[in-house]
Amino acid sequence: MENGQHQQSFIQKYIFSTDHKVIGMQYAINGLLMAIAGGFLAYVFRYNLAFPGKDIPLFGQLSPMQYNTFITNHGMIMVFWVGMPLLLSSLGNFLIPTMVGTDDMAFPTLNMLSFWIFFVSSIVLLLAFFVPGGAYGGGWTMYPPLSANAYMNPNPDFFQALFSGASLMLLAVALEFVAMLMGGINFVVTTINKRAKGMTAFRIPLIVWFIDIASVIFMFAVGPLVAGAFMLLLDITVGTGFFDAARGGDPILWQHLFWFFGHPEVYVLLLPSLGVLGEILPVFSRKPLFAYKSIIYMALFSAVLSVVVWAHHQFVSGIDPRMATFFSIGTIIISIPFAGIFLAFMATLWGGSIKFTTPMLFALGFIGLFLVGGLTGLFLGSNAFDIYAHDSYFVVAHFHYTLFPDIFFGFFAAFYYWFPKFVGKDLDKTLGKIHFWLTTIFFNLTFFLLFFNGLAGEHRRINNYSFFGNVNKEPYTTFEKICTVGAILLILSQFVFVINLIKTLRSGKKAAKNPWNATTLEWVTDSPPKHGNFDTFPVVYRGPYEYSVPGCNEDYLPQNQEN
Amino acid sequence: MSNSSTTVDIRQTPQGRLGMWILIAGELIIFGGLIACYLLNRIRYPEWGMEAVHTSTFFGALNTAVLLLSSFTIVLAHTAANNMKPRKAQMYMMLTIIGGLLFLVNKSIEYSREISEGLTFSSPKLVASGKEVGSLFWSFYYIMTGLHALHVVVGMTVIFIIMLQIRKGNNLHRVELAGMYWHMVDLIWIFLFPLLYIAK
Amino acid sequence: MNIFPENVTTYAGEIDNLFWLIFTFVAIAFVISVIALIYPMIRYSNKNSPKAEYITGEKKKHFKWITIALVLLAMSDFVILVVEHGTWDKIEMNPPTDGVRVGITGIQWNWVFTYPGPDGKINTSDDIVINEMESELHVPVNTNVIMELRSRDVIHNVFLPNARLKQDVLPGRTNIRWVNFTKEGKYELICSQICGVLHSKMRNFIVVDSKEKYDAFMKDLYEKHNPKPKVDSPAKVATDSLQAKVPSADSTAKK
Repeated sequence: MENGQHQQSFIQKYIFSTDHKVIGMQYAINGLLMAIAGGFLAYVFRYNLAFPGKDIPLFGQLSPMQYNTFITNHGMIMVFWVGMPLLLSSLGNFLIPTMVGTDDMAFPTLNMLSFWIFFVSSIVLLLAFFVPGGAYGGGWTMYPPLSANAYMNPNPDFFQALFSGASLMLLAVALEFVAMLMGGINFVVTTINKRAKGMTAFRIPLIVWFIDIASVIFMFAVGPLVAGAFMLLLDITVGTGFFDAARGGDPILWQHLFWFFGHPEVYVLLLPSLGVLGEILPVFSRKPLFAYKSIIYMALFSAVLSVVVWAHHQFVSGIDPRMATFFSIGTIIISIPFAGIFLAFMATLWGGSIKFTTPMLFALGFIGLFLVGGLTGLFLGSNAFDIYAHDSYFVVAHFHYTLFPDIFFGFFAAFYYWFPKFVGKDLDKTLGKIHFWLTTIFFNLTFFLLFFNGLAGEHRRINNYSFFGNVNKEPYTTFEKICTVGAILLILSQFVFVINLIKTLRSGKKAAKNPWNATTLEWVTDSPPKHGNFDTFPVVYRGPYEYSVPGCNEDYLPQNQEN
Repeated sequence: MSNSSTTVDIRQTPQGRLGMWILIAGELIIFGGLIACYLLNRIRYPEWGMEAVHTSTFFGALNTAVLLLSSFTIVLAHTAANNMKPRKAQMYMMLTIIGGLLFLVNKSIEYSREISEGLTFSSPKLVASGKEVGSLFWSFYYIMTGLHALHVVVGMTVIFIIMLQIRKGNNLHRVELAGMYWHMVDLIWIFLFPLLYIAK
Repeated sequence: MNIFPENVTTYAGEIDNLFWLIFTFVAIAFVISVIALIYPMIRYSNKNSPKAEYITGEKKKHFKWITIALVLLAMSDFVILVVEHGTWDKIEMNPPTDGVRVGITGIQWNWVFTYPGPDGKINTSDDIVINEMESELHVPVNTNVIMELRSRDVIHNVFLPNARLKQDVLPGRTNIRWVNFTKEGKYELICSQICGVLHSKMRNFIVVDSKEKYDAFMKDLYEKHNPKPKVDSPAKVATDSLQAKVPSADSTAKK
C-alpha cells in the first residue's frame, strides 16, 4: 500500500476510511453524540424526580412507562455506546498503532467494518424509541421474565415481537458486541505483530497494555452473554422457555450470564482510563511511572480475578447463600490489585515536579473521585450490608462515582492530552480548566447526597418518591432537588467544552510536534500524523517513561532516541 | 519505507493466522457458554433422555462423517495451496463446500422430520401435554444445532470467496485461514453430536 | 445522627453497626489517601520542586510503601469479612424454623398476602389470601415471622426498609426469609426490583400488632373467611401448579 500518495475521494477519506485515525475519530464522534442522547435522558428523568408530575422544559410530561424507558436506555447508552467507544475503541484506534510505532492496524478493513457495525447498532438502539410500544423499559440488565414478556400481546406475531423494544435492544447490544470483538482482535494482533523494532513487551506504554488486557477480558467474558442474548431473543420472538420458570427454564441463568459479562465489563471500561492516567501522570510529574512492571502484573492478576466475582451483583437474588460468601471474598480480594494500581499512580507524584495542565487536572480529579467510588464499593462488596443497600440510591451514587470519573474524566484527560497530536491544534487552556472545575463541582453536587438518600432506604427506578414514607420527608426531598440542579448544571457546564472545541477548530494555534515533552512514539511524528503515521519507522531503545534521567540534558528521553 | 512489513520485528505468527486464532477462541467461548447452559439443565432434568430418543443418531453420525471428510478435503486444499497449485486447491475447496451442502441437506431432512412430529423451537404440543421441561430440550437442540448450521453457512461462504480469490494464484495463504475456520466448525459439531444425539 | 430508617427488628441494628464499622475503615483510608494525594500536589508542584527525582519504583525500597498499604487494606478487608459473615449467617443461612408463617407473593403490581389456615402451613388448601391494593399484613411483635416469598409473574423484590431486608422473589422458587419485629407500628413493604409500568406504585404495609391484638385479628380473619380445606381456590391452584411443575433449585425451599 502506498501511504496516502494517491488521491482519495472524500468518502474514501472520511466516511469509509480504513485509516485508524479516522476510525478513532468516528468512534469518538459517535460516542459523544450518544452521550448527548444519554445526557438528555438523564436530564428528563432527574427533573421528573425533583418535581414529579410537573411539565419538563424541552420535553413535557413524563409517563411512568417513559420514565422506565429513559432510565433503562440511559444506563445502556452510557455504558455500551459512550464508555466503550470513547475509551476502548477510540483510544485504542488512535493510540495503539502510533504508540507501538506502525502505520495502521493489522486488519484495516476489519477495523472499518467494526465501526460501521457499531454505527448501525447505535441506530438500532435509538430506533427502538419509535416502534409501537416504545423502547424497552425494564432496567438495563434486562432480567427475564420481564424482558421475555416485554411484548404485552399474548400471541405476538413473530415480526411484531422482533420489532419490540426489548428485541431491538438485544439486537443492538449483540451488534455492538460484534463490533467490539472485531476491534479487540485488531488491537491484540496489532500489538503482538506490528510493533516497531526494539519495542519489547516491557517497553510498550501502559495504555496499550491496558487496552489489550481489556480487549481480552471482553472477548473472554462476552461469549456466554452472546449465547444468552440469542436465547432471550428466542424467548421473546418464538416463545421458547430458556428463562421461563413455568417451562423448566431458569430466570437466574440469565443473571449469571449477564453478570459473568457485566462485571468484567466494569474493568473493560476501567482499564483504558487507568492507562490514560499511566500516560499523563508521568508526563506532568516529569518522573517515571512508579512501578510500571508491577502495575502490569497487578492488572493481569485482576483480569483473571474479574471473571470470578460476578455474583456479587446477585446477593439478594436468591442464589445459594454459601455462594454469596465465596463471591464476597473474591470481590474484596479484587479490590487489592486495583488499590495497588492507584497507589502506584499516587506514588508517581511524590518527588516529581508537577505541572497542573488541563489533562493533569482531569487525571488527578479522576483519582480523587474514584477514591470515593472505590471505597464505597467496600460497603456493597460485603454481602450482609448489601442485603440492605442493594438496588438503593447508595448503589446509584457508588457506580456513578466510579463510572463517571472513569468514562468522562478518563476521556477528557485523554482528549485534552492527545487533541494537539491528532487534530493538530492547541486547545484553550483557560477554558479547559474552567471545564474541569465546573465538571468536578457539579458532579459532586449531583451525586454525593444520593448516598444519604440510599441509606435512608430510597430504592432505585421509581418515578415518584412522594409515595414512600421513609424518603418523602426532609432532608431527602431537598437532596433530590439539589441533585437535579447539580445534574442540570453538570450538563450545562459541558458547553464550555463544546465552545472550546469550536473555538479551537476555527482559530486554534497549530500544535507543535511534542507540546508536552513526552517520550512515547506518537509524539515523534507530525501533528496531526499523516496517513501511514511515520516517515521512517521508529526504532525503540528504551522504556516509555524515562523522565528526569540523571546525567541527561533534557528532562525526558524519547523512546526512539539513541542515547 | 512504505510497506507495513518493514515495521515487523517479531514475526513468529503470521498476522492472519493470529487473528483467526483469536476469532476461533471467541467463537468457542460463545458455544462454550451455550453448552454449559445445556449441561446444567441436562443434569437438572433427567427426563431429557426421553426427548433425546427422538433425535436421529443415524443422521447425526452421517453428518459427523460428512463434516470429518470435508475437514480432510480442506486439509488437502491447504497442502495444494502450499505447493502453489491453485487449481488443485480450488478443486478440494469445492469438495469441502459440497460436503457442507450435504451436511445442510441432511440437517434439513432431520429438522423437517422433527418438526412434523411437533418438536419445534417452542414445541407447543409438548407444552400442551404437560411436558414443559421436554420442550426446553428441543429449544436447546434447535438453538445449538441452528447456531452451528449458521456457522457452516458462514464457513462455506468464506471458503467460496477465497476459492474465487486464489484463481490467479494470489492470496494462497488465505486457504489456511478458511481451513482453520472450517476445522472449528467441525470441532463444535464433535461436541454437539454426543451431547444431543448419543446421550439418551 | 440517624441516617437510617427507624430500626424496628432484631437484626436491623446489626446491619447498621456493620455499616459504621466499614465506615470507620473507609473514613480512615479516605483521609490517608486524600492526604497522600493532596500533599505531593503542593510539595512537589512545579514551583516548589523544579526538578523531579528519577524513581522508577521497581526497587524494593520504594515499593515497600505500597506493600504496607495493601497489607493494611487486606487486613481491614479481613476484619470486615469476619464481622459481616456473622450477620449474613444469621439472616440468610440459618433462619429460625419456628414462628408465625406468612406468605408474600409478588404479582404485577401488588403484594398478595397469605395467612395460614388452621394447619399453620402456607400453600395448602385452607390458606387465606388477601389480594388488595394497599393491603396490610398483620404480624405479631417479638415473634419470629417466617416469610415464604414467591412470585407469580416476573421478578419482584421484597424490601422492608425498617427491617433492612431485601430479597428477590422469582417465579418458580420459594425463598424463605425471616424477621422479628421489636416495635409495634405500620411499616412499608416495597418492591425494589423493576417489574413493569407500575413498579413505582407497588407498595403495601406490614402492621406489627401486640400479641393480643394479633390474636384478635386472626380470630376475626378466620371468622370472616371461614377457611376450610377446599380444592378449587384459584390462588392456590395458580401457585401450586407452578410449584409442581418446577423443581425448586433453592435449597431453603425444601425444608
